[in-house]
Amino acid sequence: MLDESGLYRLMTWLSPSFPVGAYTYSHGLEWAVETGAVRDRQTLTDWVEGVLLHGAGRSDADLFREAHGAEGAALDRVIEVADALRGTAELAMESANQGRAFLTAVTASWPHPRLEDLATRCRALERPPAYPVAVAVAASAHGVPLAPALTAFLHALAANLVSAAVRLVPLGQTDGQKAQAALADTVHEAAAAALGRDWDDLGAAAPVVDLFSMFHETQYTRLFRS
Amino acid sequence: MYAVTSPSERAAAEPSRLHGLLHVSAGPRGLRALEQRAPLRALLPRVPPGEPLTACLTNTAGGLVGGDSLTVAVEAEPGGRLLAMAQAAEKVYRSLGPDVRMDVTLTAGEGAWLEWLPQETILFDAARLRRRTRLDVAEGGRALAGEMVVLGRTAHGETVRTGLLRDAWEVRVGGRLAWMDALHLEGDLRRAVDASSGFGGAVAAATAVFVGPDLEDLRDGLRDLPTEEGAMRGATVVGGVLVARWLGHDAQAMRCDFGRAWAWLRHRAEGLPEKLPRLWHV
Repeated sequence: MLDESGLYRLMTWLSPSFPVGAYTYSHGLEWAVETGAVRDRQTLTDWVEGVLLHGAGRSDADLFREAHGAEGAALDRVIEVADALRGTAELAMESANQGRAFLTAVTASWPHPRLEDLATRCRALERPPAYPVAVAVAASAHGVPLAPALTAFLHALAANLVSAAVRLVPLGQTDGQKAQAALADTVHEAAAAALGRDWDDLGAAAPVVDLFSMFHETQYTRLFRS
Repeated sequence: MYAVTSPSERAAAEPSRLHGLLHVSAGPRGLRALEQRAPLRALLPRVPPGEPLTACLTNTAGGLVGGDSLTVAVEAEPGGRLLAMAQAAEKVYRSLGPDVRMDVTLTAGEGAWLEWLPQETILFDAARLRRRTRLDVAEGGRALAGEMVVLGRTAHGETVRTGLLRDAWEVRVGGRLAWMDALHLEGDLRRAVDASSGFGGAVAAATAVFVGPDLEDLRDGLRDLPTEEGAMRGATVVGGVLVARWLGHDAQAMRCDFGRAWAWLRHRAEGLPEKLPRLWHV
């Protein structure tokens, strides 16, 4: 069960004000807006639903689940896979930068030996902590149960994409919140699916996100780093 | 109580139908090893001057059903040059339960050139495929490898609705895990295929990875190649690997584009003729 201290931690760590720079990443959405694939509330909702169920919302949720509670060699394996399982240069940067920033900020403000351990392992492996791995280990270290932590993580992924679209399309704040509300069931579905999935089924089915992220690398006018 | 089992259910419940195996390796002076077990076979056609030793793989069973497994190991030893290619598209038929497993291990030693050129894997509705491709490239080795999948017999207007498609990649460079990818669609496939950020309605997808020098130049060159109508192509350099991806609303157009980009890559990266083996086009 999630107690009040767990709720407080999740709300802090996954709030847009936690200094990971989430607002600078669009996860390929900037190209989707450029081409008109995302142009209004409905197309935005559909896009984010796909990301949650078939894209990073699937593979990062698998990694989150495995990292939560993993220790020793098992944690090393998740660190490696989570770093390598990145479709494009910008998607890799998005995850690595946020993971590093998260681990630095959370270690400073909510210290725990397991966070030090994660940093030590990443240095030894010469890999950044992927964002889902950093958040999952922090949650686990501080006694925040997996299910609510994963839901909060996926909620933040959706909220960040919605916020990017509000700026890019542009959409009104109310339309953004309507999209966020419409995505509630999808967030729960993605979290529940991940909790029941095997490590052997780790993966995603969102090649459009990868392609759009590749196209974003050469997009002429860009506000976002991914 | 009597168990009632139809012949087709029994066939499907058998642990395995076929265990194909193929191992081919080439060194600086040509073929070093060739091992094969039905239904996999390799032909070594005569090739024009300038082409590497070429192994052409065929599956004499003419398709795969649930429970089948294929294990392929292709190696270019240090200083060796090898092109391994599929002779024809591979069909994966409807499964009553078990998965088809394909396990592909590609190895390129120091100073070696390895090419793993695919044909399409065609998934029938309710097919179940788990494929794992591992590419291991030593420092100073070069390798170009790819896979193509087509969702349904699109020429017959068929699409896939259910089943499993898992296509996983693991690329190591100098022993270090450099890049992974795991395409995974299962259950109601239409959901991911139709999703705007999923497959965006595409009927075919392809991936090619290249390990070697000058990755950024090759990426930029790939981006400048014109794209076939009906196909989308992108390229990126991630984890020290050049990754190119395709989606096709028209499987034939995607194949065409894939072939052209492949020919360009082998030419620019290795100075090989800017074309694909005649057998690939048959």
